[in-house]
Amino acid sequence: MIPLMAWRNIWRSRTRTWVVIGAIAMGVWAALFMSGFATGMMNSYIDNAIEEVVSHIQIHNPDFQRDKDVKFRIADPEMLEETLAADPAVRAISVRSLSNGMIASSQTTRGVQINGVVPEMERDIRQLDQMVVAGEYFGESRGNQILLGRRLAEKLKVDVRKKVVLTFQDLDGNITSAAFRVVGLYKSQNKPFDESQVFVKRDDLNRLLGAVSTGGDEPIVHEIAVLLQDIDQVSPIAEQWRKEFPKLQVETYREISPDLQLYEGQMKNVSLIYLTVIMLALLFGIINTMLMAVLERYRELGMLMAIGMNKGKVFAMIVLETLMLCLVAAPFGLLLGWGTISYLGNRGLDLSAYSNSIEQYGMSNIVYLGVDPIVYWQIPIGVALTALIAAIYPALKAIRLRPVEAIRKV
Amino acid sequence: MSVIKTQGVEKVYNPNKIPVHALNGVDLEIKAGEFTAIVGPSGSGKTTLLNIIGGLDHPTQGQIEVGGVDITRLSDNKLIDFRKNKIGFVFQAYNLIPVLTARENVEFVMLLQNRSKAEREARTEELMKAVGLEGKMDKRPSELSGGQQQRVAVARALAPKPSFILADEPTANLDSTSTTQLLDIMARLNREEHITFVFSTHDQRVIDRARRVITLVDGKIESDEIRPEA
Repeated sequence: MIPLMAWRNIWRSRTRTWVVIGAIAMGVWAALFMSGFATGMMNSYIDNAIEEVVSHIQIHNPDFQRDKDVKFRIADPEMLEETLAADPAVRAISVRSLSNGMIASSQTTRGVQINGVVPEMERDIRQLDQMVVAGEYFGESRGNQILLGRRLAEKLKVDVRKKVVLTFQDLDGNITSAAFRVVGLYKSQNKPFDESQVFVKRDDLNRLLGAVSTGGDEPIVHEIAVLLQDIDQVSPIAEQWRKEFPKLQVETYREISPDLQLYEGQMKNVSLIYLTVIMLALLFGIINTMLMAVLERYRELGMLMAIGMNKGKVFAMIVLETLMLCLVAAPFGLLLGWGTISYLGNRGLDLSAYSNSIEQYGMSNIVYLGVDPIVYWQIPIGVALTALIAAIYPALKAIRLRPVEAIRKV
Repeated sequence: MSVIKTQGVEKVYNPNKIPVHALNGVDLEIKAGEFTAIVGPSGSGKTTLLNIIGGLDHPTQGQIEVGGVDITRLSDNKLIDFRKNKIGFVFQAYNLIPVLTARENVEFVMLLQNRSKAEREARTEELMKAVGLEGKMDKRPSELSGGQQQRVAVARALAPKPSFILADEPTANLDSTSTTQLLDIMARLNREEHITFVFSTHDQRVIDRARRVITLVDGKIESDEIRPEA
């Protein structure tokens, strides 16, 4: 009968009960939304970083990662390229030569990383061709073509078909310069990337790096970027390749960009902080409501204890009332949250009004909300725990009353 | 056989500030089957005495034996159990559980006593019939009149088969008809089932029906009148 009493008690003041249920449901919805938003931002950041910058796995000469000197190239890259391309776990690879240098226009000079790429490979691995917003992706004609980030072009005050000069160190350690014609401008979701990365054809860069001086036919390769079919396979595949190619440095995207892991951790922390704040607000809201419910039933609770209801049962009744409130409210919040996340997970949340600051952090303008399914369990458990904690003070208040005083109370 | 025995019971409120002596050495013995009214002016200590006999309040001094048990030595939790099994309460303001029906209100204490469902149902029907409310079993207190609510309260007080019923001003909020009906029921239960009733009251109609009238003045028994059965 105590559960029945608890259930009927919560409906004694329908308006108040619905207000509290609404508050709890909104809290659950807000917690889900914040979790979905944080996960969406995190996924956007990581996906963009993988798709536009780091790929899933990168392979280098171990010394290159330490020094970035062009002489630290990958030995026998053609064999490696063939091996990797034949691996069924691999979706796409891009073989690159890299050099840090200066880019100069008639107006100004800036430091950049020069990416010598095979256009077809780069198109497959990071859809660079689709990022082109002016001019064209590398054409067949003429040598020394360069693709610049639009933001870099603005800073250099150059446009398509203009010439820029790249200056960098060749394999012999000499400074070399060459003029490149801007064939296209690209725009990614990552502002710092656009301002620091320029793309030229690998053959052009290798020629200038002095591949001939090495005396062999072996192309210069500093980096092989790999995109796998399945992101969950990154760690085992990387481990397997480390064993297969012990002289090379095989790194996953998390190792190359520790900021991704940091960001992931931070977003989880931010999510947890939001969740804590929401639960705290709920906690005090529930305490307030249940305290009111106890105080206005002071006389009745005194009577119950007078006729023989022991303190444990009174305590249990108040806790049950609180839990029942949350049990009614949580499904509403979960349903609302699930609906919101499903909708915004498909349609995306358009944040283009804040694109300047968002792109600064390497995220897309449209965030697709998503939550780990476990969150749908964690939040109700969090709410139930909050309800239990919230019930303690009002329940203690109830069992501390003296029946003789409570009965006398008008 | 005495069901209630008090010896030198004193109750002082605010002993450290402005002491109020509510009871000043009450010696009292109530035997099984009595129909007793405790009367006296306001502030004479009637309710305090009832609360102390009922184990709802502790005396400052003195001894209270209920059914041979010294209840002043019981802990709060044991007192709750004692009240549940030995004492039936009828309050001035009915004090039914508003979210339960009349039937559920009567069943409630038996449920706390872990009585079987069949026993609960049978006793509830029997008691609701005894108080003349068998047709109102599924009504909530808010759907009953004051007199009907008080009759449900009497049925509830009787449900756990207590040693005696304590009724604090049971007719204070009732009209004449309801008062007569209630007194008839209680007198019949006392006469036919030998249930002990102890009232505190101002109501002359209750005093007239009592077979023992104890008058309290300033926390002391001023008179103790036993009337012959009518």
